[in-house]
Amino acid sequence: MRLLIHDLSEEQINVVLPERKDVMKIVSDDGSTHQCNGCFGCWVKTPGVCGIKDKYQNMGELFSESEEIIIISKWFYGGFSPFVKNIMDRSISYVLPYFVKRNGEMHHKQRYDHKIEMKVWFYGDHITDEERLTADTLLQANAINLACNGSEVNYVQSITEIKLI
Amino acid sequence: MKIALINGSPKVKNSASAFILTSVKSLLPADSEFKEFKFNGTILNEIDLEKIADTDVLIFAFPLYVDGIPSHLLHCLDQMETYFNMMETKKIRVCVLVNCGFYEGHQGSIALGMMKNWCSKAKLEWGQGIGIGGGGMLASFKSPLESQGPMKNLWDAIKVMTDNVSNPHEMDNIYTVPNYPRFLYALGGNMGWKKQIKENGLNRKA
Repeated sequence: MRLLIHDLSEEQINVVLPERKDVMKIVSDDGSTHQCNGCFGCWVKTPGVCGIKDKYQNMGELFSESEEIIIISKWFYGGFSPFVKNIMDRSISYVLPYFVKRNGEMHHKQRYDHKIEMKVWFYGDHITDEERLTADTLLQANAINLACNGSEVNYVQSITEIKLI
Repeated sequence: MKIALINGSPKVKNSASAFILTSVKSLLPADSEFKEFKFNGTILNEIDLEKIADTDVLIFAFPLYVDGIPSHLLHCLDQMETYFNMMETKKIRVCVLVNCGFYEGHQGSIALGMMKNWCSKAKLEWGQGIGIGGGGMLASFKSPLESQGPMKNLWDAIKVMTDNVSNPHEMDNIYTVPNYPRFLYALGGNMGWKKQIKENGLNRKA
């Protein structure tokens, strides 16, 4: 499965993906999402499932079913926008709480025997060199923490430059 | 000197960020005027924004979430950026402590980079950051940080940051690890997770 996580409006996503929306599972912002509250319930109370009862509570499982995760995010200080970051924060059940050593440093043990390809499209004006460096480093770190096969980062000013299919 | 201490943890109580800021406050000049804020939601009110703008230094403490800044705090930073760009505020110095559950504090370097990028957008002065390793145990501490013991390195780093709180120059970030070996931290952490899972009546392999 291909999973698309984006922070675009309905009008904007129709520009990026005008047809064949059925080719991927889409996670978008309908205004109903709740913030991660740092309870770790998805690790110690309801393993694999976020305790906040909204439609985003099974993100870890969705990650485990996805060979490719595509993220479209507005540029925010060298990282993801608040909505996309919230989806990432609420996806930590994709890994286990237990610590392992990977790439010479501490990370979380994988819950699933699964690998993801991650492709990110950052959009927005005034991207500085410092922000780009931050984002490149972020995606490298995310790829290690989520045990990805690989990751790719693209920077565009306008969403019309995004090519998904 | 007016100093805002901003707790960026989403937790309502017992956060490591609150513990860290208590330690920071104890090492700052006692004659400072402290303003304490808890950003655990997504919306800041106008009164708090006004109070924050009327300071000389902002000191943030927050947990590292998925290599970055927790999403609720990004909402707050966005509002602060808009506010600071609208208002003619004086130069405000920003210091940041990011609390990392992993052993290595340098895993917080990306979040510190984002905070520095935010400073540029919000027209604030970046001061210094501390990436705290081994932060998973801080919330369980019963007494304040000490100059000796398992978090000695963090105490030393906070001392440098607080000694330079009025320094107008940018300082290098400091990254700490606990004052004992990584395998012991991992062992203790894994035992802690297993205990919590078992207490919830679940298989510890969950």
